[in-house]
Amino acid sequence: MGNKQLVPEMDFQVLTQLQKTEGLISIPDLAEKAKVDQSKASAVCLFRADLGEIEVQETSESEWKLGKKAKALPGKSLPERDIIEALNKMGGNAEIPQVAESTGLENKVIGQSLRWLEEKKWALKDGKTLKLLPDGQNALSNEYDDEKLIKYLIENGNATSADLEAKGINIKAACDLLNGRNFLEEKSRKTRMVCLTPKGRELVDQGLEVRQELNQLTTEMLRSGEWRNATFRPYDVTVPGDPVYSGKDHPLVSIFDQTRRVFVELGFEETESPFVESSFWDFDALFQPQDHPARDMQDTFYIERPNICRLPNDELVDNIGRVHENGGDTGSIGWRYLWNKEQAQKPVLRTHTTAASVRALASDPKPPRKVFCIGPVFRRETVDYKHLPVFHQVEGIIVDEKATFANLLGVLSVFYKKMGFDRFDFRPAFFPYTEPSVEIFVWSEKKKDWIEMGGAGIFRPEVTEPLGCTTPVLAWGLGLERLAMFRYELANITHLYRARINWLKETPLCR
Amino acid sequence: MPVVSISLDTLLSRIKTEIPREDLAKKLRQLGCDVEGYATVKRFKCSSCDNIMEITETENPPVVCDQCGADYKENPDHLVFLNDHSVIRMELLAVRPDMFDPGGLARTLRGYLGEETHSGYELHSGPYTITVDPALSQKENYRPNIACAIIRNMSFTEDTLRAIMKLQENLHWALGRDRKRASIGVYDLTKLEGTDFQYRAVSNDEIRFTPLGYDLNKESDKLSPKEILERHPKGVQYKRLLEEFPKFPFLTDSKGTVLSMPPIINGEHSRVTPNSRDLFVDVTGTDERLVNKTLNVFVTSVSELAAGVTIEQVEIRYPDNQVSTPDFTPQRVNVSPSHAERVLGIELDKLKIKDFLERMGHQIEDNDSDELSVLVPPYRNDILHPIDLVEDVAIAYGYHNFPLTLVPTHTVGKQLKDQELFDLCRNSLTGLGLFEVLTLILSSEEAQYDKLQLPRDDDHIIIDNPISVEQTMIRRRLLPGLLDTFAANADQELPQQIFEVGYVSQLNKEQETGSIELSRLASAIIGPKVDYSGIRSICEALLREFGGTIKTIPTENPAFIPGRVAMIHAVINDKEIVMGIMGEVHPQVLENFKLVYPVSTFEIQLGPLINHTN
Repeated sequence: MGNKQLVPEMDFQVLTQLQKTEGLISIPDLAEKAKVDQSKASAVCLFRADLGEIEVQETSESEWKLGKKAKALPGKSLPERDIIEALNKMGGNAEIPQVAESTGLENKVIGQSLRWLEEKKWALKDGKTLKLLPDGQNALSNEYDDEKLIKYLIENGNATSADLEAKGINIKAACDLLNGRNFLEEKSRKTRMVCLTPKGRELVDQGLEVRQELNQLTTEMLRSGEWRNATFRPYDVTVPGDPVYSGKDHPLVSIFDQTRRVFVELGFEETESPFVESSFWDFDALFQPQDHPARDMQDTFYIERPNICRLPNDELVDNIGRVHENGGDTGSIGWRYLWNKEQAQKPVLRTHTTAASVRALASDPKPPRKVFCIGPVFRRETVDYKHLPVFHQVEGIIVDEKATFANLLGVLSVFYKKMGFDRFDFRPAFFPYTEPSVEIFVWSEKKKDWIEMGGAGIFRPEVTEPLGCTTPVLAWGLGLERLAMFRYELANITHLYRARINWLKETPLCR
Repeated sequence: MPVVSISLDTLLSRIKTEIPREDLAKKLRQLGCDVEGYATVKRFKCSSCDNIMEITETENPPVVCDQCGADYKENPDHLVFLNDHSVIRMELLAVRPDMFDPGGLARTLRGYLGEETHSGYELHSGPYTITVDPALSQKENYRPNIACAIIRNMSFTEDTLRAIMKLQENLHWALGRDRKRASIGVYDLTKLEGTDFQYRAVSNDEIRFTPLGYDLNKESDKLSPKEILERHPKGVQYKRLLEEFPKFPFLTDSKGTVLSMPPIINGEHSRVTPNSRDLFVDVTGTDERLVNKTLNVFVTSVSELAAGVTIEQVEIRYPDNQVSTPDFTPQRVNVSPSHAERVLGIELDKLKIKDFLERMGHQIEDNDSDELSVLVPPYRNDILHPIDLVEDVAIAYGYHNFPLTLVPTHTVGKQLKDQELFDLCRNSLTGLGLFEVLTLILSSEEAQYDKLQLPRDDDHIIIDNPISVEQTMIRRRLLPGLLDTFAANADQELPQQIFEVGYVSQLNKEQETGSIELSRLASAIIGPKVDYSGIRSICEALLREFGGTIKTIPTENPAFIPGRVAMIHAVINDKEIVMGIMGEVHPQVLENFKLVYPVSTFEIQLGPLINHTN
């Protein structure tokens, strides 16, 4: 006899148990018998396998569970069985509504079962009537493999092939019959089977002794120096950790932040404007005629309280009114209607951040200026996967003697490049307050299509001149939720505003 | 925006250049058309009024005729399937009604592709006159303007018939604002008597006529104007346009036979059939320029759709003047090359601009000046100012051809002070492991007051035309949004710790707009062991970042458990500022929000902290 081998306690338990075991044993069974933690048993086995003392065989075993549709079954049997039993009770023939009433099955389920009744030759639909067939009559006193399987699963939750064999259920026959009906869900489960190798058995037969091992390094050990005599039990360092998540900004807010950074880098100054805005600043100052459809109650939120806004100085109001009526001094022919001051005083929820730009322009029309605004805008949209009554825009203007349409396209392309897009398209568009006008599209590789991101243009003279501005003003308003949906691959915009905590946790900060 | 299906055959047969499908869509997009894509549509005919309808693959066949209102459920034989048809689908650009139909669109494309420069349309004079009843221009009657034309030598095909009907419908939408400002009628001229027609205001008992789709031989199918508004589907649909006026506008021929009751319905008597050759067209409305433009767009597009037609003018006899329509006198606009160059940022000269504008369908008059004298074609309704022609230059040049340059002037960038503050708050709270959420700014009194057991006050903003009962006001506080977020995450792991930084609104008479936005921060925790002390620690950690400490003063608030709620005061630089409220949420409130775990929360205003960021 050689010397007894010193092994850690865990290894001792596992190896001793394996010594008593004939043939292969699964790690869960082994752990249970050795009374050790499963992950620790697994660690010991893998460690000893590397030393050639334990053999590990990975096997995969099928496991069955009830599928989606089976969960809706009222009883422990398949619907076709309920149906033939009902038919039998009703004398062999019955109309479908009667069958539904008698079985308690939904019409839909009965409809789906017709095919199987026919396939099994149990019953046949003739007009509105279901007729029990001879095979169905026979089936009443038999139980088939598919039914046995479903019943077993309803009673036990899940089953492995071994379980089913023990019950005498023919798995293949059962699966063939249930295939494609969503009654069954098959999963393959990996199991590790282990046994001692000859080398391992030799080692164990020599006799084992427990070596005291330590889990935790303590301050006492460090203070006393006792750690020098200790060995530390190795961990299975491949085992995943318990998940923890860092607190995070909302993904849409990260987009606002990134947007803000881009424009600040480009020399823009941030501005803001009220959510409740006068029609004057939201529409009239932007040369939107007072009967423009966008101003309808249908599309714009009007305000019951407060119900009136103050207008700016009379000269400006008068200038704007004249521009609508006849173009004023701008060289335009205007919209040619009688402009109404009261209508301009009606408060609305701002429909675009362009109201912020035009306010900024009116407060200081002297070039050079670059101004931007990020904020919510409101449109009277019914909530669906693409629309919300509130969304966010980034709005910007460049007031500059030298500003050109080419500069507008340039700054937009810089923005989208910085936001991570490399293909964009500019197309002619129409807005009442810009000319030339352009819509910006970015390419979605996933959808293989262009997605519209926003509108831009050069403010019309009818907008700038009444405000005392004679330089070109480049302007744009771009949707930010769209960018977020694009970046985070969201199918539904409401996810942003009624966020799922796990989505917030798991969405990477980096795109 | 409505979507129109343009027949590919009709469109391509009017263009010489061979264009592959993909290129066609691309070219149209470069012109500003919002192309959705290609599709196959099914065409049906209404056998009761010859209306042609199309449906896409995903739509169901019509159940009623959109023209005469025939009910196909009652009379299935009245709906006749014609054929499948290849189309290109586009969203209509309201300002370019001259591109709504395959004829007008082909005209634009031919110019853009350089196939032709437009030389205008020929107008013939003719004997027809319309006398306008002075009563129509009086304020209590409302539809003073009319423009008419005769179109001769028409030969309809199923395609042109469909295109013309659709054009009429789309013009009603785009220029007519759903028939309010302008509406179009088309009639078979050969069925009309004489040449002196009347546009008059008629009272209800003066007239009865057979509307489109009704039986001319049945006395019971003759209706009075009021009966039209009450019984005819189109009457019911457009009733609102005439309701408030004592009389009804009518168009009649020399013998007094009714052509139509604008803007509701035509008479059956002069109904256009596929065999009609000579047509009478009218546009009535409330604005002379618009009525004329609508007629111009319509007749020029019809000329494009049906080769060989001639257009004849009609004399309109107003009480105080006479005009002939259609009026194709071009609008003259001067364009300065240097202005265009400065606006667009590309190199241009007079010759280049001439070429670009001609491609966009304009004519250029020869002159010696630096400026171009541009004759805008009669069907363009969107040229208000020379800048509109500069855009046409840009489109012809091609947006895709523009250099992407930046403004050369340097300016200093700067974010709002509010944002620095928000960033600081977010850094502090996310550092504590909290998750930021966003909730909707629109809320309801139920969520903002009732569910929190708070009395409704009168300092919040109320929406006049809310779209749902859940969004009737701008929020006054953030807490309901946070509680809703918890409710939406009832199946998620606990505890959950969240916060929101955002604005709430309040009435404020001092402000120009009568209201003001206030920045707020709210945080809440939900979980089995959540209590006051946990949230207090978070609040203290946050205010520590502003160099302050907090003082809590017991208070009462129905949204919180009595004895577990406090006012938060911040002490910063020895100054005490009221910040907000903190506590454990009342179980009744939790129940109202369908929550089954305790919640503790605080909500503070950020305004007072604005001067304490770096």
